[in-house]
This record gives sequence, structure tokens and C-alpha cells, in this order.
Amino acid sequence: MAPSAHPRAMAPARPGRTRTAPPQTAEGWYAQPRMRRYLLFDATGLVYLLLGFLMLRVTWALGSGRVAWDRVLANFENPLYVAFHLLSLVAVVFVAVRFFRLFPKAQPPRIGPLKPPPAPMIHGLLYAAWIAITLLFVTILCGGLFA
Amino acid sequence: MVETLRHDIVIVGGGAAGLRAAIAAVEADPRVSVALVSKVYPMRSHTVSAEGGAAAVARDDDSLEMHAYDTVKGSDFLGDQDVIQYFVEEAPRELTALEHWGCPWSRNPDGSVATRAFGGMTTKRTWYAADKVGFHMLHTLFQHSMRFERIVRYDEQFATKLLVEEGAVRGVTALDVREGVMRTILGRAVILATGGAGKCFPFTTNGNIKTGDGMALAYRAGVALKDMEFVQYHPTGLPGTGILITEAARGEGGRLFNSKQERFLETKPEYGVGSKLELGPRDMISRAIIREVQAGNGIKGPYGEYVHLDLTHLDAGLLQKRLPFVLELARTYVGVDPVTQPIPVRPVVHYMMGGVDTDIDGATELPGLYAVGECASHSLNGANRLGSNSLTECLVFGARAGRHAVDFVSGVGGVDEGRLRERADQEAARVEALRGKQKGGEKLVQLRREMNQAMEEGCGVYRDQGSMRATVETLAQLRGRFADIALEDPSRVFNTELIAALELANMLDVAEAVAIAALDRRESRGAHACSDYPTRNDQEFLHHSLVYFEAGGPRVDKKDVTLGTWEPEERKY
Amino acid sequence: MSDVERKTFVVTRFDPDRDEVPKTQSYEVPCQPDWKILDALNFIKDHIDASLSHRWSCRMAVCGSCGMNVNGEPKLTCKVPISDYSDTIEVAPLSNFPVIRDLVVELEGFLEKLEAVKPFILRAKELSLDEGTTRQTPEELEEFKQFSMCINCMLCYAACPVVANEPEFLGPAAIALGHRYSLDTRDEGAAVRSEIFRGEGTVFSCSYANECSEVCPKNVDPAAAVNQAKFNSVIDWATRLVLPRGGEK
Repeated sequence: MAPSAHPRAMAPARPGRTRTAPPQTAEGWYAQPRMRRYLLFDATGLVYLLLGFLMLRVTWALGSGRVAWDRVLANFENPLYVAFHLLSLVAVVFVAVRFFRLFPKAQPPRIGPLKPPPAPMIHGLLYAAWIAITLLFVTILCGGLFA
Repeated sequence: MVETLRHDIVIVGGGAAGLRAAIAAVEADPRVSVALVSKVYPMRSHTVSAEGGAAAVARDDDSLEMHAYDTVKGSDFLGDQDVIQYFVEEAPRELTALEHWGCPWSRNPDGSVATRAFGGMTTKRTWYAADKVGFHMLHTLFQHSMRFERIVRYDEQFATKLLVEEGAVRGVTALDVREGVMRTILGRAVILATGGAGKCFPFTTNGNIKTGDGMALAYRAGVALKDMEFVQYHPTGLPGTGILITEAARGEGGRLFNSKQERFLETKPEYGVGSKLELGPRDMISRAIIREVQAGNGIKGPYGEYVHLDLTHLDAGLLQKRLPFVLELARTYVGVDPVTQPIPVRPVVHYMMGGVDTDIDGATELPGLYAVGECASHSLNGANRLGSNSLTECLVFGARAGRHAVDFVSGVGGVDEGRLRERADQEAARVEALRGKQKGGEKLVQLRREMNQAMEEGCGVYRDQGSMRATVETLAQLRGRFADIALEDPSRVFNTELIAALELANMLDVAEAVAIAALDRRESRGAHACSDYPTRNDQEFLHHSLVYFEAGGPRVDKKDVTLGTWEPEERKY
Repeated sequence: MSDVERKTFVVTRFDPDRDEVPKTQSYEVPCQPDWKILDALNFIKDHIDASLSHRWSCRMAVCGSCGMNVNGEPKLTCKVPISDYSDTIEVAPLSNFPVIRDLVVELEGFLEKLEAVKPFILRAKELSLDEGTTRQTPEELEEFKQFSMCINCMLCYAACPVVANEPEFLGPAAIALGHRYSLDTRDEGAAVRSEIFRGEGTVFSCSYANECSEVCPKNVDPAAAVNQAKFNSVIDWATRLVLPRGGEK
């Protein structure tokens, strides 16, 4: 086993009176499909980070006049730029689907007398909200682009 | 030099009885310090595997008198009626206390605690938590015990000997499983709560840890073991593994069928269960199944013959709600789906009615020594225990002994620790000599197997004088051969082979007591069915058996049964 | 008996008095087809190598002793059939725990975390036995029942990537058991536990990997408990901003 867990993982406050081997992590854990999906899920954070910067740049450009705006728009001529945005679309969908799948069980069983709706309904509401918000933004953007 | 730790009360065993005693002790007196010494972490105690329920009067159509009578009759009139009376009175209070501590009892729609039918009970009085009552009770007790700083746990410490000085018990020596060193844990009272000894037998519902350690400790210290011949065979264990399929499966409506698809408890009144059918007492049903197999009506399988427990006529939703664990066990361990197929079952050793001889307070003849739970015999269960009485028993007498011990220790003075230290050092040397003892001709696994076989042959559901005598001789030989055992593992840290050897020594002592007591009881009563003496003989044998450890071989004696409201009568259902 | 299959078990061994680090040892075991992994380990101990140390007891998946890594995945070895595996099976101690010996891991760390969440009924005023049992409807019982099924086998700790990296994290089982009491109608300590859940070992370290629930042999779904606990902790914190509580329980 490869000891790549934190050396004090699950260590008690008062260590036992015999020497222990450090916590091990299963060898090849990164090869398990479930682990890989989880790592991908966490790795999308990088994508969001980058997207965040780009969004900030776009917003700044909006307020900085025609020239700045045209410069930003010109980026979309670059195929790499477009590719990144397509990749981030995939990442967003991946994260959303996974998050939606896990969302119902994170609901408290009851708040006062109110119970959460059954899982299929929660899924329906989440996807419906997602689609509605997407359509709204697309409309605004397209409207804005072709204004 | 062996390290010495000092507490007021030492409890050996961390299951339901031990935990309940610990909680009772610190609640009775918050200054008392309690050592809870267990060879496994408490949540691993075998209480955890109990499935069906715990009995206490709860409904309006029930009464303490009815519960007491059912228990007396179930015990085949060998139970002490003063003990039984106290038990039925305290039972509802104990289960209520557990409810207050968070135990997730299953409920009726109106929010009251639900009860189910159980073997030998005239009405529904078994409180249950789906079909994992032992698990829920144990975890509730364990988690509740975390509130008390005065309960100090010594986990994975194997108690090897009781220290007795000036005629009273003063503590225990214990082997630290992890560190491989011996320690002395002193206490002015010791409460044994170590469970039964099903692992003396080859087929048992019991887990690996049920090796009669506390019984052996008391026995070797000169305390009698009472009613050891009464070993309960649970009628419905899985063939091969012996895994328990709870009586609650029959309580919810399960039926037993033989190879001819005959519901034999119904078609053959000679089995004595009367109208109770599958809810008759366990000893009668186990005997019925064995007789069916002997008559050629058993279904053949790779692990011997069995009968069918049929739940297929019950609603699948009900099975999922009330018996989810049974469904899981059958699917995982015999590949059978009880919703659509019958479950293969056969009688397996489950519980020891006998144990360390105590009075109603759980106190033994040795001052300062108590015993509670399955390792004790107060005697609540007499010759046969009713299902769902034992979990309640752990609570009722665990609490009583815990409180009594608190009173006891307040009157106990100090003792010369020098002599105790000498004894402890001797004991440490003895155990050290056993570790990795390579010089010897006997193998641990072989001795264990021969013991198991001897117990199966001589102390089965049906016994006869000839095979019991042979078993007594075999066990005496095995005890002698143990001295010549060879062990392979000389390691210090977490040496489980050494633990297994200590457990085997305990089992050999306890097994011998069982066999000798069985040989001596020349009648059939409760779970002890002797084919040479097929009837109950109240004239000569209405007494408890006592077995004392002596150098030349165990000595048998007797003790009166405390009768009360009910005189012995024919046990008919 | 028929159908005996020989399988090779590659088992981690470690004796702190002799070994610097854990190593593996291979055993050829003649297996019955209906065996679980535990049966093979017991065969090794009984007939091949008596020095192999492992914990086990009930062999019916309820005591939680026998958790180990089998081919890299945390499993209850008394529940997993060898027929699920091919000819070579790796058995190692549970990930993320210090190793005491062979397949035996240190459990004290878990017990400290469990005690930290106050896993018992907290009430301002203790219930009296004379009041009898409290009323709790089957629906109220269902709300926390699932989380009470935890057998403390710690497979979830072995699977959790956060446990692997953050020693303080309370972990799935401890949080699930704390949350179980907070949901119990008899308990009044939800606010106390919410504060504990925001403290050291915070539930917010959970990154929603869901590995714990994937490996749990009892369908406790600790991921649900942890994430519900997050939600409740936030509500509790916000409520306290608006309505600070006077006096402790």
C-alpha cells in the first residue's frame, strides 16, 4: 500500500503505546472509476476559477467602452478560447448533474411541520430552474449581442 | 513488575449487562470510579447480534403475573420465583429507561411502543426495534455510557484471573491485547458480565468471542457454576454458519415445514407445543426439528439436514418493515430470498441458561464478586429460557448488581497490596510462558475441534448417558492435553493466537462443567432432554445443579429452587 | 468437499517489533465456493500461519469488527463472498487508519471523534421513569432511524478522501451519529451539536464525494447526514445571529 494519507489521519489525541505504521491509502485508488469521477468533480473547481476571471474581464470590458469590448469579443475568434468555453460547459453540466443527484438527500427530513418533496420532484424542480435560468440568460445575451 | 490500576468497581465485559451495571453504579454514586474491562471494544460485544426483542409488560391485556407465570412455566419450574417476580416488576422500568436514553423502539401509529408475539409468551409483550434489538440496545447503552467520565474503559484487555485476598475478590489481572503486557486492575467489587460459551460447540449462533471467560474465572476461583447442563438450542439457525434467524420471524407468522411440506408442529401433537405451534418454547421446537430429521423428514443439504422456515405467505412490505435483517441475512449467507423462498434452518446452540451461581442481587458466595447477564445464573431462566427475556435480564440484574456493588464497596477496607502484587506477577509469568510456547505436541485448532465434537456428541439436543460419559472423559483428557499445547506466534503486539489459547483453556473448563452437570441430571427437564430418562422427575431433581472446580476433577452439588406462587405442574402448551 | 478452488491471498503483514514498514505475504488457500473473505483469513490463521492477526466476531455483518481493504476497497470481510473475486485477492488493513499489527488498525481516533459529537440524548430536564415512555410516531422514528443503523465498522472513514487528508475532520460515522440524535424527537441538543459541527473537525470539510455512502454496508447514507448537518448548522448559526441564546444547556 502506498502511504499517501496524511501521517496523522485518524490518529488519537493520546497515541497508543505501541508503534503504529502510518495510515495507508489503497494503492491504485486513483484508478477506481468512482474515485476518478470524484477527482474530476473536484478538479472542475479550476475550470470555475478560470471562468470566474474571464467573467470579471468581460464585466470590466462592458464598463470600459467600445474598444475594450471589441477586444474581448475578438478573443472568440481564437479556437482555443472557444474550446475552453465548450469544455467549461461540459464541466458545468457534469457538476450540475452530480450535484442534483446528491441534492435530495442533503435536505433535512423536516423543518417544523414542512417535509421536503420527494426526490423525483426535487430533481424536476432543479432541472426546470436550471433550464429556465439558462433560457433567460441566453435571451438577454442574444438580445444584447444582436441589439 | 506489573502495573497496577485502582478503581472502586471493576466490570469485566462490555455488553448490555456490563454497560448497564456500569451506568447503574455511577448513577447510584457519582464519586464511584468504574473500570469497564472488555476484551473487545464494547460495540463489538455479542449483545449486538440479538435480533428479536426484549420482554416487559406493556399492554393493558397483560399483567406482571402473566409474565411471571410464562417465565416460570418456560423454565420448566426450575426458575427461582423470587428472582422472576423481581424481574417482571423491573422489566418495564428498565425498557422505559432505555427508551429515555434514545433506544429506537418500533412504534404503534399512536406513538406508543410496539410489542410483538414471542415464543412461550401468552400475549404480546416483546418490545422490538425492527429485528435488530440487540444492536440498538447495545449502541444506546454504549453511547449513553459516554456521558459518564467515571466509567473508565479498558478496551481490548483480556481478564485472565480473579485476584482473591483475605476471602474476598480484590480485582483482576488482565492482558493488554495490544501491548502484550499484563496489568492488575484493582477494585473492591468485580462484576462479571462476559456472556455465554456457545463456542464450546461446533454449531452456534454465537460469535467468536463467546468463550465463557467470566464463567471460567469464577469457576477457578472456587465459585460454583449453576445449571450448566441447560444449553439452549435455538430452533432456527442457518445451516453451516449457525447464523441466527430470529424467533420474531415465527412471531410475525413464519411456519416450519419438513421435506414432505408438512407443517409438523401442527400435524404431530406429540411435540407438545399445543396451539402455540411455531410460538412454542424453544426447547420443544428444537426437539421437534431433531426428531423430524431423525424420522427421515429432513431436507438434505451440504451442511447436514434441515427444515424450512417459510415466510413466503407474509406480505413483502411487512417483511421489509419488521424483519429487514432476516431478509438481508438469508440473502447474504444462504442465497435465499425469504419473500419468495423458504429459509433452511436447524437447531443451533444459542444461549446458556446456566452460569455463575448468584443470588437475586447478582452476588456470588465470594464476597465482592458479582455476575450478571448470560454468564450468570440467578436463576431467572431455569431449565429453558423464553425468547426476549434475556436482554431484559441483562438490564434488570445489571442495574441491580451495579447498585448493590456500590453499597458493598462503601463497606470494604483496604488490603495488603503486596500479596496481590505477588499473585499478579505469578499470573503474568504464567501467561508469558504460554506466548509462542513452541515446545509441545498438541495443536490449538485440533484441541478446539475435538472439544467441539465431544460437545456436539454428548451435549446435543438429545443426550444419553453413554455419550455424556464419553464426553466427560474426552474433555478431561483434553484439559490434560492442553498443558502440552504448542503455539506458533511469539509476537508481543496484538497476538491473537495467545488470546485464542487462553479462550480455549476457559472453554475446556466450562465445557467440562456442562458435561458433568448433564451426566448427573438423570431426568429430562427444559432444554436437557435425556433419552435414558425421558420424563421430568420432580421428586429427585427439582433442584439446581452446582459444579465446583477441584484439582481432582469437578465436584457436583445441588441447590434448592425457590418456589413461590406456582407449584410445578405438567408443562403443556 | 467438492468444488474447492485454490486462491492466492496477498495479505499485509506488520509486526512493529520486527518490521520497519508493512509488507505483504502470499498464502495459497483452498477455498469453498460459498466462503466469505473472512473464512479464508480464518483458514490461514488456523492452518497456515497462526501469527496472522485480525479482528472478527459476529460473522454476520453486525458487530463491525472485520472491516478491511479488499483489492483496495473497504469491505466487511464477513459479508463479501470470495466468488466476487478472481484468483488473487489482496487484503490490507483499512485505509486512513494507523496500523497496529497486520490487519488491525487503531480505533481510538474514531472513538474520540464519536465522543466529541455527544452521541446521547441531551435534555434540559431528564425524563422521569414515572412519565413512562415518550410518544414518538413511526414517521418521527423514520426520520433518524437510518442514521442509527451505523455499526461503527469505519469503512466510511477508509473511503473518505477528506479523512485521508484532514486529521481533524469528524468523519462520516461520527457526524451521522451526532445528527441521528439531533433528529430524534426526544433530544433537545441540536443546537449544541450544530456548534460542535461548526467547530474543529467541521462538517464543512466534507466535499460531497459521497464515497462514504457508497461503501457503507448498512445503507446508513452518512453523506446525507453530513450534508443535512451542514444545512442545519447554517440555519442554527443564522438563527443565533438574530436571536442569541442566553445560557447554556
